[in-house]
Amino acid sequence: MGKKYILEKFSPNFSVKQLFRIKRLTTLVLFLGVWLICTNSVYADNSGVDLKGNTVKITNLINSNNLLPAPVTGVVTDSKGTTLPGVTVRVRGTNKATITNAEGKFTIDVTNNQSVLVFSCMGYRSETIVVGTQKTLTVAMLDEVKALDEVVVVGYGTQKRGSITGAVSSVKSDELVKSSSVAATSALVGKVAGITARSYDSRPGNGTSIQIRNMGNPLYVIDGVPYSTNDGTSSFGFNTDISGQSVFNQLGLEDIESVSILKDASASVYGLRASNGVVLVTTKKGGRTEQPSINVNGYYGVQNFTRYYDVANAGQYVTALVQSNQNRGQTPAYTKEEVAKWVAGTEPGYQNNDYKKIMLRPNVPQSYISVNATGGSARTNYYFSVSNLNQDAVLKDFTFNRTNIQSNISTKLAKGLTIGTQISGRIEKRHNVGVPGLDDYFNPLLSISSMWPTETMYANNNPLYINQTHNVNVNPATYTDQITGWCDDVTRALNVNLNAQYDFNFGLTAKGIYSYNFTNEDFNGFEYIWPAYIYNAATDTYADRPIGGAPYGNQNPWREIHKNNIVSRFAQFQLNYTKQLGNHNISAVAAYERSDMENYYVAVHTIPPTNYIPTMLFANQDYLGYSWVTEARAGYTGRANYSYKQKYLLEVLGRYDGSYLYRSDKRWGFFPGASIGWRMSEEPFFKNLVGNAVSNLKLRASYGVTGSESGLNAFDYLPGYNYPSGSAVFDGTYVIGLQPKGTLPVTNLTWVKNQSANIGIDFTVMGDKLTGQFDVFNRKKTGMPAARYDVLLPSEVGYSLPNENLNSEATRGIEGQLTYSNKSGVVDYTIGVNATLARRRDLTQYKPRFGNSWDRYRSAYVDRWGSIDWGYQVIGQFQTQAQIDAYTINNDGKNNTTELPGDYIFKDQNGDGVINTLDNRPIGYAEGAQPYMSFGLAGSLTYKGITLSFSFAGATMQSFRRNVELKVPFQNNGNSADYMLADVWHHADPYDITSPWIPGTYPALRKDVSTVNTSTSDIWITNINYFRLKNLEIGYNIPQKLLKKAGISKLRVYANGSNLFSFDNMKKIGIDPEIASQGGLIYPQQSLINIGFNLSL
Amino acid sequence: MKILYKGLIIIILLVTFSACKKQWLERTPQNIITDAQLWGDPNMITGLLANYYERLPTDMGLDGNWRNMADYDDAMWSGYSGEDGRSNLTYSTGRWQLWDYGLIRDINKAIENIATYSPKGTPLQIATNAQFTAELRFVRAYQYFELVKREGGVPIVTKQLIYDYSGDASPLRNARNKESEVYDFIATEMDAVKDVIGNISGTGVPSQTRANKYTCLALKCRAMLYAGSLAKYNNLMAVPITTTGAEVGIPASMATGYYTKALQAAQDIINSGVYTLYNSTPDKGQNFYDAVCKKGVTNKEVIMARDFLSAKAKRHGFSYDNIARSIREDNLGSSCITPVLNFVEAFDYLDGTPGTLKIRTADNSDYIYYTNMADVFANKDNRLFGSVITPGSTFKGLNVDIQAGVKTWNSVTSSYTTLTSSTLGSTHTDGKLLTGAGGPHASIQEVSNTGFYLKKFVDQGAGTSTRGILSDVWWVRYRLGEIYLNATEAALELGQTSVALPYINAIRQRAGFPANSLDATTLTIDKLRNERRLELAFEDHRVWDLKRWRIADKIWTGSATNPDDVLYALYPYRIIRPGDPLRDGKYVFEKIKAPRFVLPRNFQMNNYYSTIPQSAIDNNPLIVKNPFQ
Repeated sequence: MGKKYILEKFSPNFSVKQLFRIKRLTTLVLFLGVWLICTNSVYADNSGVDLKGNTVKITNLINSNNLLPAPVTGVVTDSKGTTLPGVTVRVRGTNKATITNAEGKFTIDVTNNQSVLVFSCMGYRSETIVVGTQKTLTVAMLDEVKALDEVVVVGYGTQKRGSITGAVSSVKSDELVKSSSVAATSALVGKVAGITARSYDSRPGNGTSIQIRNMGNPLYVIDGVPYSTNDGTSSFGFNTDISGQSVFNQLGLEDIESVSILKDASASVYGLRASNGVVLVTTKKGGRTEQPSINVNGYYGVQNFTRYYDVANAGQYVTALVQSNQNRGQTPAYTKEEVAKWVAGTEPGYQNNDYKKIMLRPNVPQSYISVNATGGSARTNYYFSVSNLNQDAVLKDFTFNRTNIQSNISTKLAKGLTIGTQISGRIEKRHNVGVPGLDDYFNPLLSISSMWPTETMYANNNPLYINQTHNVNVNPATYTDQITGWCDDVTRALNVNLNAQYDFNFGLTAKGIYSYNFTNEDFNGFEYIWPAYIYNAATDTYADRPIGGAPYGNQNPWREIHKNNIVSRFAQFQLNYTKQLGNHNISAVAAYERSDMENYYVAVHTIPPTNYIPTMLFANQDYLGYSWVTEARAGYTGRANYSYKQKYLLEVLGRYDGSYLYRSDKRWGFFPGASIGWRMSEEPFFKNLVGNAVSNLKLRASYGVTGSESGLNAFDYLPGYNYPSGSAVFDGTYVIGLQPKGTLPVTNLTWVKNQSANIGIDFTVMGDKLTGQFDVFNRKKTGMPAARYDVLLPSEVGYSLPNENLNSEATRGIEGQLTYSNKSGVVDYTIGVNATLARRRDLTQYKPRFGNSWDRYRSAYVDRWGSIDWGYQVIGQFQTQAQIDAYTINNDGKNNTTELPGDYIFKDQNGDGVINTLDNRPIGYAEGAQPYMSFGLAGSLTYKGITLSFSFAGATMQSFRRNVELKVPFQNNGNSADYMLADVWHHADPYDITSPWIPGTYPALRKDVSTVNTSTSDIWITNINYFRLKNLEIGYNIPQKLLKKAGISKLRVYANGSNLFSFDNMKKIGIDPEIASQGGLIYPQQSLINIGFNLSL
Repeated sequence: MKILYKGLIIIILLVTFSACKKQWLERTPQNIITDAQLWGDPNMITGLLANYYERLPTDMGLDGNWRNMADYDDAMWSGYSGEDGRSNLTYSTGRWQLWDYGLIRDINKAIENIATYSPKGTPLQIATNAQFTAELRFVRAYQYFELVKREGGVPIVTKQLIYDYSGDASPLRNARNKESEVYDFIATEMDAVKDVIGNISGTGVPSQTRANKYTCLALKCRAMLYAGSLAKYNNLMAVPITTTGAEVGIPASMATGYYTKALQAAQDIINSGVYTLYNSTPDKGQNFYDAVCKKGVTNKEVIMARDFLSAKAKRHGFSYDNIARSIREDNLGSSCITPVLNFVEAFDYLDGTPGTLKIRTADNSDYIYYTNMADVFANKDNRLFGSVITPGSTFKGLNVDIQAGVKTWNSVTSSYTTLTSSTLGSTHTDGKLLTGAGGPHASIQEVSNTGFYLKKFVDQGAGTSTRGILSDVWWVRYRLGEIYLNATEAALELGQTSVALPYINAIRQRAGFPANSLDATTLTIDKLRNERRLELAFEDHRVWDLKRWRIADKIWTGSATNPDDVLYALYPYRIIRPGDPLRDGKYVFEKIKAPRFVLPRNFQMNNYYSTIPQSAIDNNPLIVKNPFQ
């Protein structure tokens, strides 16, 4: 009867729920296995069924056919060298077959040495071997990573990769954890096509800003529950809101089973908030009838800034000051002798102070430990985990610590009825030194560039006395918990999902989910008063204040506690139907769901009378803060899939969605989508045409509509008066104010409509070795809010008309992904590349008006690529004073009277002889935004249990604007990057104005004077390109022989490096290519080197 | 069993969705008051007024645009180096631009809604509503004054302009009124409401924070004075600034009428006896400071102020930003607005001689050596010490520690070697002060670069210069000192010198001058103008005065050789000259161009009236542009 044994690999990527959806045959096999367990009552027995680990091993099922005279024996392993039980070994063209035993061994009879053995196993690529003269074979099977039967999580369900018609990418757990990332967004970087990424601020605990196809912040759906897209950053630089991005970022990385990215119409099933794509996250569940396994994973690593520019040393600094004096015609601030002493830097009192070295500690630790238990019985499956992550900052006393728990359990109560819970909790602790100002991470970095290298942080270098430096606010001597104070920010979050599911026996499943999320943020800060001193060498005394004056140091104490209490709730009722009728496959989902969120914020602030007592007293209170935010949404959604012979695929979906943002009569909208697929490779004619060269070829197309809530705030549809708004003191009494709303109620504005179109192709060629996926897409946004200004409402009416849905734009692009896997001898390797190019194009603008043709050129938005950076083009530098004097174009707007040799010469684009804004031209892309093009390259090599894997990520088409610290020498009366003070045009002798000019990269220094050199030009706008090694890992699987005695089923050790190097064009400026902060004063990414292990019991 | 489970599912679903009310998306805001809740409640209406008063614009103030104090000729910016543009000022044509009809609309809406919504009935309610309406009209007139002094004539809108969504907004268009009509509107409005507006206690003490009869008179007085001087001086220009529709430009013939009204309003206030010039502190410098900054009804000089209250977290950072560097309590901030030598020298000596400081010998061969720094300022007009912290003086009982450096005598070259330090509070090798903790310093930010610090409006309370505590010094809108000077100016312009003299002499006498220090020959219009500069410095008068007198373009010419244009600093040095007891250890002063100052103030003809926002012109074709726009 030609019965085939199809063995499913029980990777943790399969939840039981998903398994049931796989072919019935699979289910049968599973039940067969379970039946064997029951009949043999044996676990982990070589003679029976072993459910240990991830692989179902079925042995000795067929062992009766042992009669032929030419047996071949061998061992089958996976790519990591672990032996593989349960692999089917067949002799091609015969009925002979066997299955490898628990040790992966097999014996099979062949008739001659031309016989061909075919090895097959679910989840692995088939291998074909000619027996030849060998009697003992060793066969390594490659993972079938992109197997068409891979189950992918999509909106409201799962689908097999082969039958997906939308643009959906997915990433599995093991790919995520390789990155040793603190936050989940960072782990996605470079892994899949369609994701653009930028790490703007990488302080401990922070993630990476990711977008899908540069469309904006996506919607995050975690275990079926969508989270708010409201992405607010609280004060003090902490981002502790419960936007989906934050919840995703702070999940335990080990707890994530898979991440799916819905990029096109497939997102329409999420309706009103899905226009920027959807990130679907699934946590691990454990497999039913899976033997318990306990996994321990951990690493310890050290971090350093990837890059941070050096500041000038004392010699360079004083030399630069004197040069500046000379260029400005001032008396030199230092004598020749003093400059010489500073340059030498040896004499006491003339030694350099390297504040970069003082501020940034090398090799600060980051460590992680996670323990989880997973498994299942016939009725119940579970996943329990606890993990802890510790990340110190390179700044002393700044730390981040996170503990996660996850408890997922699901059980069959009765036939057809399954109930389960997913409980996740986390505690995030951030500890900062309470330096003055708002953002505690900013000041220490400001210190590096602000402190003079000529001044010491302690008076007379005596650590008992903080030096009253020129700007004592940034004196690093104060940056400790004991001196300036501290800030603790703790977020505690608990998310409980309850679900119940009933499977009817005719293909229908009913399911209910209720989710309750409580997140609490506790901020606790105390800033101290502290003294500072000036040393008097003549009297050997330390003065803590000028004679008769006020104390030095800081006399501004404060104490603050604030809390965010956030409750979000979600409920969903869902019906699923699946039916196969001959060649017709039908499945359908319908759901109703609704959600809300409330956030209460309360803050109390006092002026503490001492540094010692943190207790807060009403008598000292000077501020009470309160705010409240809510959201509420509801929606009906549905999806239907039809396929004929798995060849012609059709998906139709839609959502009827409502949002609290709109007035009741404009609240609900319908968002449909459809996609089709054609698996050309299933067509007989195609097979005849190309044979086996192409094993899979699928064409896809999709079109869908989603919404985005844009251009209005909560309750904008209501008239009335904002309360409170302003206040006054009338006759000594405080009166709270209120104010009429400034625009008329927003009743005409509705959501922005997004039409996503996508055409894609999936293919597998070269004997399954090369798989690929390409997509072309266009998302058109129509109805973007703008004012309808052809109704010229006189300004004198005193109010404005609310915005209406008028403008449109599109995000267009192309993305692709290629993966090649092969083996060469005993080395298996995989290499994959992906790239995404996505850019906004402004399409229409509501009746644009321009004053003149220049205005049209400069300001028009119609049918033009978005976010163009404008500025001057520099065509050179003045070489001599004579050249300046003879120069006929007014370069500085002051007839070149302010110019010196070395100053930038701007291109007079319009030839009018004067440089002004009319000479601006496009010189760059969007600043501080996601790159228009992102790409990744990842690969791995396996040799006998040793695995080397790497991933690169890169980006281009993005612009960085240098400003403040990176543009203005002596910014803030401080120091500057060494190249900005040392590599400048200057006179050979800073005391002799007649000495010749020596060229440098940067213009001649003129402290405290702003020159035309700092005008926005292509000198200061850099179009960044980078390609960086995100991750490099070498791991070794300890052979099982050694482990067995210890009762360990798997032990892997590895060394891993993140951000070890990059090819980029920001090296000369000395900043990480991903930051956006124009002065560079931001915490860049870390290069992390760690060692770790994965242990399974 | 199966039925049981199915039942269980149904129960679970029912429980889950039992809260499935239809109003799931209908949430109740926590921050919106409706008309019905507002108009029946006097407390809420008072809250509305609180909002409106706070939105009245100023060019200077204590919690917003105080930085503008450094943009004229009384002070120089010494704060954050990123704002060094303040040392290089050609005023833009849009400077002082104001077209805020949002406030006008809100007031008109309130006036109409009081009538519509408020309960009809008891005499008390009627009186209350009438009072609120009068107060709203005061705020509206105040706003129109702010509009007209910046833009010239503006459309006078006194009713809500409601758009009917017909697609045609032309019925809502109003043309600009004549400049004179706006001033007349202010006068008639104030006449109409001043006797019903209330806000005077049963014992006759008027509110100092809400509109009342005297604030109405004060607004009218100032507006009429402005109108009078515009009528007079605009027409004395070589080319008067006018538009054909008189949106800008008031006929000279109207000057006398306006001056007369200004004088009358001033005299109504003065003669009421409700207010007196503050004269309670023995130290006359401190007395002048108190006259402005001392809060509460014991200060009978202040007619109207914008008040703050630290206890209710209603406070401002003016002291944090402007406290003298050496006595700041915070480790950030301080020293932004620093008065310049030009302003200090504008204060005469009490004997009537010009205020130029005596820092060089008559033949200019040597410094004049002072034992104490304060001696150089001896016998100056005491208003200087109420407005400015001078070297050698104290504030809050603390030494302000101003010293630029030391000058060491070199007997070989017979000259001084000057030594300064970039460390504030540093000591010289002799163990004594080198550079003061309060500077002055040429390039460090947040330390005076002029040698002086601001005193007026800087809080004397402990901790008020910290970000944690901040200050609640009030901002004076009207005070009797101004009314006296208004009366003087109006009378002088009307040729009534004998009427003018007692007012200005009272002001000067309070400053320490002898009685009747000016007489009919010494009281000139220039003298009066200088008095206004000194008395009302940093109280948002200087630029408006220079504009209405049409002399701003003559004082701020943008010329580096014009001493009015260039801002000067005064740097004190300690002398080290052992063996010369007459000089050693003494102090000398150097006058220098303020070191962070780059280019002279440049006021051009197109600055007299600010441009009207292009959007306002686009939106209403009836709006004619201002001259030079």
